[in-house]
Amino acid sequence: MSTPQPPGSSNSQGDDESVDFFKSTINEYLDNLPESVHQQLFQSRETCLAIFRLLPALSKFYIMAVLFNETSVPYSDLNRWVKSNKNSEFKGHQNPTKIYQNDSIKRLKALHILKEIKRQMIHPITKQPTVIIFVQLNEIFRQSFRDALTGFLPDSTQDQSKITLASSKDDQQEKTTSLDMMFDDDVDNSITVDYLDRYCLAKWENILHFMVGTEIKEIPSVGALTLLRFSGLMELPSDRERREALDGQVDEDIDYGYEDDNKKSIHTLKQLLITKTGFQFLLQDISSQIWTLLIQYLIMAEKLKMNPVDVLNFIFLLGSLELGQGYAISMLPQTQLIMLDDLQDYGLIYHQKDSSVFYPTRLATSLTSESSSFKTASAAMDQEISQPRADKSTNSGSIIIETNFKIYCYTSSPLQIAILNLFVHLRARFANLVTGVVTRESVRGALRNGITSTQIINYLETHAHNGMIELAEAEYNKKYEFESSIGNTTALEQLKLEILPPTVVDQIKLWQLEMDRVQAFKGYLYKDFNNDFEFEKLLSYGEDIGVIVWRDRTKRKFFVSQEGNSQLIDYANKIIRNSSGTPRANTPA
Amino acid sequence: MARAIKGMLIECDPSIKSLVVRIDQDYRDIVIEELDDTHLLIDPSKLTFIKKELNRILADNAYNPFDDEDAQAAAVLG
Repeated sequence: MSTPQPPGSSNSQGDDESVDFFKSTINEYLDNLPESVHQQLFQSRETCLAIFRLLPALSKFYIMAVLFNETSVPYSDLNRWVKSNKNSEFKGHQNPTKIYQNDSIKRLKALHILKEIKRQMIHPITKQPTVIIFVQLNEIFRQSFRDALTGFLPDSTQDQSKITLASSKDDQQEKTTSLDMMFDDDVDNSITVDYLDRYCLAKWENILHFMVGTEIKEIPSVGALTLLRFSGLMELPSDRERREALDGQVDEDIDYGYEDDNKKSIHTLKQLLITKTGFQFLLQDISSQIWTLLIQYLIMAEKLKMNPVDVLNFIFLLGSLELGQGYAISMLPQTQLIMLDDLQDYGLIYHQKDSSVFYPTRLATSLTSESSSFKTASAAMDQEISQPRADKSTNSGSIIIETNFKIYCYTSSPLQIAILNLFVHLRARFANLVTGVVTRESVRGALRNGITSTQIINYLETHAHNGMIELAEAEYNKKYEFESSIGNTTALEQLKLEILPPTVVDQIKLWQLEMDRVQAFKGYLYKDFNNDFEFEKLLSYGEDIGVIVWRDRTKRKFFVSQEGNSQLIDYANKIIRNSSGTPRANTPA
Repeated sequence: MARAIKGMLIECDPSIKSLVVRIDQDYRDIVIEELDDTHLLIDPSKLTFIKKELNRILADNAYNPFDDEDAQAAAVLG
């Protein structure tokens, strides 16, 4: 079943596969924006800096290489800057360096940062006119990015850049009009980095807790819930019924659902249920979770007639702000004031009512940085709880599952317990351990919620205890040695590292297969043909256009899908007209 | 000339098919035609009902580890 693709999504190449759903992060969103939007975006240097940070390393290198180079550079030079590892073990045309290089250049072109120009040149030796391709950096990008790096504040663009980077100290002293107003140094000191961290985590975890269906005191705001529903991570019971009725043909109708239920009350939204995508969402690390929601927010904002450039600029701006520093809201334009409230709902911003100052939280400031300050929500939560042994506690490696389906998970994170509760029958909880059993009923419960068996298996595998992995590796090595000692190469190729007991994996898959024991097709059964000739003619036509679902030649019956039926009837009528000369209706009863 | 009957084609294992036929015997007007071992033509509006019934019957046949434990616990207590 395809993932509900959000409406208005410009994501044309992104498949509807739910895995890609999360891969299509901010990069893909940016790539697919039209050139005019890119040009507007480049006017903001925070945005330029943020885009730069999001690029692959080689793309960054290319930008830096041509940034202070006023003239355009021949395309072939881009290749010369990269050492191609010809002697590597990768043979043939599949050169990973080359692929990486192509990707890097493609990204730059998609973002309209690099432009190709063809120029007629006279070859110095042969004196023949040849076409040489040059690359040139986008002018606006070049200017903004230079300014961002040098901290230069040209008078003309001053009103556009409300906040410059607070990173360089000289820059801060130089700052004149707008910046002084922006920084609010004499704000109340109670808001520390610690406080902000706690605040944003509480907000974010609250949303995640709501998704897994934990009983929580404070339900996320209507805005946050609407976004969850809009992004297809959660759905109302009525949405689910509609989706099931449509059986797979979701895409357009989800839009509809959103359109007419635009203003659902908090009471209705309280009943939201997690979807398949929602479950996958929970398994992501926190930065991709935030980006996923922000991109959905962007798409939703476009629908609400908010200027995407403003929205994007603000998001990127947040990435350049300093944690623990208060910023005045008076400098923000209208669109960004609206966003302030929304982003507060997700915990990206701390802003007290009626206060003229807002604080970005760690969630916001780490948006464009590569080194994520905290890996996953539950890891952060672990640290919160077990401060003294903070170094040791990692999120991964806590689940042990036995061949008898009993599961033990070393965790004290309520969130992880809640996630496990989605597909495990939990039995006992101790200070740092929960135990449970994977049963048919518990897995079916998860499957009914749209979670797939692969997702469950993946989750168990990625969170498997180190002991499980060591055991699996030892097992693997033993088998490897045995098979290679007897020279069984086919067995060697099929050898896999089995972290989870195979019985459990197979059984979970079987439980999923059991869920859809019947496959149903709507359509028409054709029977009672007078002779073989008629039957064969219609059947072969139907098979040619690919609408026959089932056939039985001996009984002269076949089944046509609903979509294909009208075509087949047209064809049948044509045969009848041709053979008898008098048109006759042949519509099914 | 041939006839066309509107309906829903169901594809399933022979075991499931026989279960559907049994459900049809109990409730009537579900199966329009039995096509072969793995195919049935049914009334489209009855599909959800059939799925629900199938789940109920299959759940009765499934092994639930907790039943055992409960029985054991009852035996110990008794």
